[in-house]
This record gives sequence, C-alpha cells and structure tokens, in this order.
Amino acid sequence: MSKTYFDETHCAIGHPKSTFMQWMLTVDHKRIGLMYAAVMFTFFFVAVFTALLMRFELFAPGQQFIDGPTFNQAFTLHGVIMIFLFIIPGIPAIFGNIVMPLMIGAKDVSFPRLNWATFWLYILGCCVALASLFIGEGVADTGWTFYAPYSLNTDTNVIMALTAAFILGFASILTGLNFLVTIHRLRAPGMTFFKMPLFVWGIYATAWIQLLATPVIGITLILAVMEKYFGIGIFDPSKGGDPVLFQHLFWIYSHPAVYLMILPAFGIMSEIIPTFSRKEIFGYRTIALSSASIAGIGYLVWGHHLYTSGMSDVAKSVFSFLTFFVAIPTGVKFYDWIATMYQGKIVLSTPMIWGLGTIITFAIGGITGITITMIGVDIHLQDTYYSVAHFHYAILGGVVFLMFAGMHYWFPLITGKMYKETHAKAAFYIQFVGFNLLWFPMFIAGWYGMPRRYFDYLPEFQIYHQVSFYGALIFVSGLIYMFWTFYRGWTKGEPSGTNPWNATTLEWHMPSSPPPLENHSKVPYVDFNPYEYHHGEPVVKFNYETMQRID
Amino acid sequence: MSNKLEGFSTSASTFNADLDFAFWLHIWLSVGLFLSVVVPMIYFAWKYNANKVKNEDIGKVTHNTTLEILWTLIPVAIMMLFFYYGNTTMKMFRTMPAEAQSLVINVEGSKWKWKYTYPANASGHVHEVGGVYKKPVMNDDGSIKEHGTMGISALYVPKDTNIILKMTAPLSDVLHSYYIPAFRTKQDVVPGRETTLWFNANRVGSYDVECAEYCGADHAYMYSKVVVMEKADYEAWYNSNKGDTPKGDFPKDGKSLYASNGCASCHSIDSDTILVGPGLKGIGAKYDSEYLANALTNPDKDVPEGFYPGIMPTFKFSDEDLKNIVKYMETGK
Ligand code: HEC
Ligand code: HEM
Ligand SMILES: [Cu+2]
Repeated sequence: MSKTYFDETHCAIGHPKSTFMQWMLTVDHKRIGLMYAAVMFTFFFVAVFTALLMRFELFAPGQQFIDGPTFNQAFTLHGVIMIFLFIIPGIPAIFGNIVMPLMIGAKDVSFPRLNWATFWLYILGCCVALASLFIGEGVADTGWTFYAPYSLNTDTNVIMALTAAFILGFASILTGLNFLVTIHRLRAPGMTFFKMPLFVWGIYATAWIQLLATPVIGITLILAVMEKYFGIGIFDPSKGGDPVLFQHLFWIYSHPAVYLMILPAFGIMSEIIPTFSRKEIFGYRTIALSSASIAGIGYLVWGHHLYTSGMSDVAKSVFSFLTFFVAIPTGVKFYDWIATMYQGKIVLSTPMIWGLGTIITFAIGGITGITITMIGVDIHLQDTYYSVAHFHYAILGGVVFLMFAGMHYWFPLITGKMYKETHAKAAFYIQFVGFNLLWFPMFIAGWYGMPRRYFDYLPEFQIYHQVSFYGALIFVSGLIYMFWTFYRGWTKGEPSGTNPWNATTLEWHMPSSPPPLENHSKVPYVDFNPYEYHHGEPVVKFNYETMQRID
Repeated sequence: MSNKLEGFSTSASTFNADLDFAFWLHIWLSVGLFLSVVVPMIYFAWKYNANKVKNEDIGKVTHNTTLEILWTLIPVAIMMLFFYYGNTTMKMFRTMPAEAQSLVINVEGSKWKWKYTYPANASGHVHEVGGVYKKPVMNDDGSIKEHGTMGISALYVPKDTNIILKMTAPLSDVLHSYYIPAFRTKQDVVPGRETTLWFNANRVGSYDVECAEYCGADHAYMYSKVVVMEKADYEAWYNSNKGDTPKGDFPKDGKSLYASNGCASCHSIDSDTILVGPGLKGIGAKYDSEYLANALTNPDKDVPEGFYPGIMPTFKFSDEDLKNIVKYMETGK
C-alpha cells in the first residue's frame, strides 16, 4: 500500500511525532482544506440550530419560547456565522484548497506555510468574532449588517466585530493571494488559461475579489475607531456623521462578497455537469469569461441594497441598470449547462442530482433577485420576507447546495471511500422538498407585507410560517441524514478507486486513492482540454506512475 | 386589531395598479425564463438518461452561435423591460408632488412609536398625534388573550389628496422605515436627515403601517395606521382644536390610554416597584384628581421625594382623555 496524505505530512515547524500536532502544523493543502471543513461545519450546525430556534418561535404569532431581544440575538448570531464564518470563506477554503492544486497538477499551493498561517488567522478571526458577540451586554442584536447608528449606540461591540471581520478579511486576502500566485505560477506545463478546469476559473475570479474588495473592511474599521475613540463624527448622526455612509461601505464589501460565494459554486457545477453528461462542456469560454465579468461588474452594484435609504434617484437608476447586467452572464451560464446535457449520456449519480436540483432552486433565487432589482418593486419588498426568501434561495439553495454537490463529487477523492448512493440520494430528496417548503411560502408572506426581523407577527401570516416550520424540520433531518451517510461512507464505505466517476480533470489521475502527500507522481504535460470525452469515455489516459499519456 | 394587514388588497392608493402590474408582469415573464431552463433540463435528463443512450450516440456540440446569441439577447431584452418598469414605478413613488398642492405632515419615528405633527390650523392649533402601540396580551399557551391596539397612533389624512410626509428621527435614535404595505411604499427614516414619502389614497379606510428597518427590542411592535377620511370629516377635525383623535374604533378608555402612551414602561400600576418613576399603587388614595391631572400636564411642578424633574414627559390630553386616565390611576379601571 502506498502512503496517502493521511499517513504523512509536511509541517510548518519541525516534525512533531504526535498525529495531533502533525495536523495542527500541517502545510499540506489537502489537510488544511479538511481542517477548514471541520471547523466550518461545526459553525454551520450552530447556526442551523439558532435558525431552528427562530423557526420554533415563529410557529405562531405572539411570544412562545423566546422574547423579542433573544430573537434579535438569534438572527444576529445565525447571520454572522453563516455569512462571515461559513459561506464567504467556505468553498475557496475547503475545495479551493483541497482540489484546485490537484486540478492544475501542482504539488501544493505556492506558499504552503502562508496557507497554514492563514488557517490559524481564520481561527483567530472566528474567536474574535464570537467573542465580540458575547462580550458586552449580552449577545449582539444588531443583525449581521451592523447598521449604524443602532450598532454604535447599543452596548454591542461593533469595533470588535469589525476587528474580527478585519482579521477574517486578512485571512481571505491571503488565501486569495496564495491562490492567484498558485494559478499563475504552478499550472502544469502546457495548461494555458483556457485549458484550466472551470472550477479553477471560479476560484481565480474569486481570488481577485478577495484581494480587491476585502480592504474596504479595513477602511470601515479605521473610520469606526476614529469615531469611537476620537469623537470624529462619521456614521453617528448625534456627532454629525451620516449613518447611510456606513451602509455604503458595508455593501461595497458585502455585495462583492456575494460573488465570492457564488462564483466558486458555479465552478463546482461546471465540473459536475460535463462529467455526468459524459460530454465536453458547452461554451467553455463563455462560462470562463462570464465568471470574470460577474466579478468585474459585481463591484459596481452595491447600491441596490440602498434603494429605500434615501439615496439620490439617479444613483438608484444607475445601480439598478448595472445590476441587471450581472443577471445576464449568470443566465448564460445556465443555458450553457443545459446545452451541455443535450445529446449527452446523463448519469444521475448523487452529485448530478444535487447539481440539477440546484439549477431549480438557484434559478428561483436568481429570478426573485431580479424582482427586487426593479427599484419600484423593491420599494415595496425591501426588508420584507421576500428578500429573506430570495437570499436563502440564492445562498442556501445555490451556494450551500452546490457545496453539498461538491462534497458528494469529491468525497471519494478526499477519503478514498464511497458512500451509499441510495442513502445519499434519499437525503437529497428530503432536503430538496424540505428546503422548498421552508422558504417558498416566505415569498408569499413577503409580498403580503410580512417584514423581516419580526419575532411576532399578525395572525394572517401564521399559515406561511407554519408550512415553513415543517419545511425546516424536514430539511434539517435530511441534513443530518446526509452527514450520517458521509460518516458511514468514510468509516465503512467501499474503496472508491482513483476515478469512480469517469471524470477527466487532473485531480482524478492520482497514483493512489486518497492522493499521496505531494499529489501527482510526476508533473503532467497538459495538451488537452479539461473535459474531453469520446463515446462517453475520457479521452486522456495516464500512466499514474510516470504521468505519461497512454491513450 | 384585525388579524390582517388592513387594506392590503383594496388598491387604495394611486400607486397600486402600476406597481402590481409591474410585479406581475415580471413574475409571469420570469416564470417563462424559469421554464426555459428547467423544462429542457428535466427533458434532457429523461431523454438522454444513461440507460437509454448508447456511447456512440453521444453528441459533440459545444457551440451554436445562433442559440448563444438568442439566449443572450432575449434575456437582455427582458431585463431592459424590467429595468423600464422598475424605473418608472420608482419615479412614480419618488416624484414628489408640489408642496403647495399637498398636505405636508411631519413624521417622527423613534424607538418604538410614530409621531405626526400637522401644520397649524386657522386658529393656530397644532395637532400632534401618535404614540406607542400596545402589545397584545398572551395566554401562557401563546394564544392571544387581548388584542393590541394597532393604530391608536394613527395618521389622519383626507381622501384624494396628495400627502407628503417629511420624516426624521431624533439624533440619538436609530434607523426606522415607514412602510405602508397597502400603498406598496416605504421609506427609511434616518436620524439627522429628512426623508420624504408621498401618497394619495382614494378610498376611505384604515391601512396598517409597519416599521421595516430593524430598530431593536420592539421593532416588531412599531406599528401605526393611516386613516383615510372624507375631506369634510377631515377638515372638521383639523379645524377644531380638540386634541382628540377623530375616528376609529380605537379604545379610549383609561387603561388603553395608559398603555398606548408608554406610562407602563416607567410606572408599575399595581405595585410600589420603582421602574423609572414611582409605582402608582394606591395613588388615588394619596392625591386628588387635580393633582394627578397636573402630574401629567405639568409633571415638573410637584416632584415626589427621591425623583428628579425633567424625566417624566409632559403630556397633552383632551379633557375627556385626561379624565379617563386619571380615573384609571385612581380606580384601576
Ligand atoms: C420616561 C418615564 C416616564 C413616563 C413615560 C411617564 N412617567 Fe410619570 N413619572 C416619571 C417620573 C421620573 C416621575 C417622578 C418625577 C416627576 O414627578 O416628574 C413621574 C411621576 C408621575 C406621577 C406623580 C407621582 C407622584 O407620586 O407624585 C404620576 C401620577 C405619573 N407620573 C403618571 C404618569 C402617567 C399616567 C404616564 C403616562 C401618560 C406617565 N406618568 C408617563 C416618569 C415617567
Ligand atoms: C438551515 C436552514 C436555515 C433556516 C431554517 C434559516 C432560517 C432563518 C430565519 C428564520 C431567519 C430570520 C429571518 C428574519 O427574522 O428576518 C434567517 C436569517 C438569515 N439567514 Fe438563515 N436559515 C437557514 C440557513 C441559512 C444559510 C445556509 C445561510 C447562509 C449561508 C443563512 C443566512 C441568513 C442570513 C444572512 C440571515 C439574516 C440575518 C439578519 O437579519 O441579520 N441562513 N434565517
Ligand atoms: Cu423601527
């Protein structure tokens, strides 16, 4: 048996004997990715738990289990964890780390030690973030948006929360930098940009956003510090500041952050669709370039979060116009994926049904996003459950679902084992049904005027909240079932072999399963496109010892 | 309190028809877009399912210029249509009518109530209405024992008139948002800034107002009501000098007044516990009615031991309201 990356590792400092220390100090991109996954999913479950708490409270009008202030703390905790600790860093940190270097035939990222340090910076950021929520007069209740002046004149720790965002932002910048250099410098010879797998394109576009948008958090932090400690009025109207400025700065970062989430997720979809259609992807260049253009336009649309804040009407029109132009490249990707399936040979394995399910849910998330891009309509729907349902469809039904798709897709690569597909598929259907029951009714409630962040509501809305409650229960049981299936797969599953899905990209051409410490035995020469199939079989075949083509 | 947002489907403002049209146009076209993705997807997943397709039959298409142009340009056209309707409806909401032809009312949103100040009437009286919304009372099992009084703090406006709301919040307060779902409109209220909102309602009735920008503990209770009246009724009230609110089935008994004016957050009515002000248990035995009335209209005159002037706000009540609330303090009824 050859050694895998579970058996040996390089460490940032020295060569500790204990396995535990080897994990703590590891610089191996695959191990670091796994550690991110462990930490992030722990947070995810905490946030899911607080969400359930909210759903219980919302089961009926009036106060049931928790009072208003506790509810406000719950959605703050839920939002902060889900956004800042889980989904913004999520896919790049987990799959960007584990899979991207394998896909381009690299031995690791360009700066493995920095990668290790970044992981611990992320942990530090998480600690500060959680501390900021709990230190002070109880848990923060500002919502994940920390809008001034509310956040400035309650007893919550905005400065500390911003510091946390700053540290996490730093981790994000460093990850972005590391990935950019890796993608520029460490691609296997012959692999031009247009021969890269589309997931790498997604990570590449994301890395630029991480690098360029994140510094705005630093600016905001400095301004908030100047206000708090030197009394210079910036955001706080009682000092002569302008609270709307805070909203601008917040969204200048947080809107591109939405594309931080979705672009790598689209990358996962672009891997799965051709693999399970056994066919080259339709419109490779369009998909690659649309990622880049979404990343570009994405900087210029933050104002669509401020339609009712009292911004000038001209600015509103411009922001709305630009926002529609993010929708176009996104739509084109969808058609390209569907066209890939045309005349293919479609294997409905678990990753594929996750992918196809997400096409449905993300399409709903995207389309309802367009509703609220129409300024006039948004004047009615802003801050109602319509927008809450929209972003849950986009983030949970889009990004998180694609993350799950990726987990099913790369599970055999990472663990060398296969989960039971019958269980995994059942878990998908449960979650899909549960999710739609959970969030679809909220569009209706939103249209009828149910505002967000209300712990108590008019009896009129009870029916929607109740359906939603049952949906949440179904969804969460599916979620637990899925993780149980993974757990069983990892501990008891059959060995999967190196390429169980008949995929073409380089991460499936490993000398061992799971991969060894330094990945491919030799650096391959890439003179082929990423998704070349002929009659349903991968065209390119390698001798895994020499990495010479043998087809 | 009714169980529904009052007036949501009545099409009561001049905005409704256009906004609802823009929304539904968007929804139906979007359903089309959605189906254009999902129907082929499901069809292909069935038609080209692995167990029906022989390896030799797998296609090789990776480009089709006509199709690609179509599925870029058609969505672009649809998006431009959406942009057009989004923009015209925005103009409709945001183009303020001339102030000379409108009734301008000042609105102040503060944690957690709305206050309306009218222009002075012919005899120089300034109507100020508004106040706190009374929470519903719950049984232990969560069912509602006593409905709240949404809208006791109503905004009274005449029918078929342009109403401009000039809104702000105190500097030390936070963001709020004035949202009238029945009229499909809302606008944030920003401390230190003046924002405006206008509407023109063409049906007599009352319409709920919600706070739509998160503002803390009682955000979910920051309701109010817009009451649209016949012009004549409105004028009669406006030109009178009664502080009394004109209309509505809002409770006017002492208990409700006590609740809706926020007394309960500073005074316990049935114990000696000191909240911000003294507990009021047995106060009727201590003082006469006149003293109690004075305590509300001129609170800084007689300050009880251990308290400071300037904390208890000065209240303006109509004679009848004053009588009711004093009676409530005296008798608990
Ligand atoms: C912001 C807190 C606050 C609110 C709201 C408030 N009060 Fe007071 N009240 C006080 C304080 C403090 C005092 C004692 C100082 C004073 O008399 O000015 C007081 C004094 C009084 C007194 C005199 C008590 C005595 O022993 O002399 C009465 C009666 C009273 N309030 C009734 C009311 C009623 C009725 C309302 C509602 C319409 C109300 N208060 C609203 C704070 C408040
Ligand atoms: C497990 C399923 C989930 C459930 C049941 C759930 C439920 C909820 C509920 C009830 C709210 C409060 C809405 C309100 O009162 O305004 C909320 C808010 C929110 N959720 Fe979720 N959610 C889930 C998953 C997620 C995921 C996966 C994400 C992102 C990765 C997410 C991000 C958010 C955000 C950002 C908010 C807004 C918080 C705020 O208002 O400050 N949620 N969710
Ligand atoms: Cu408010």
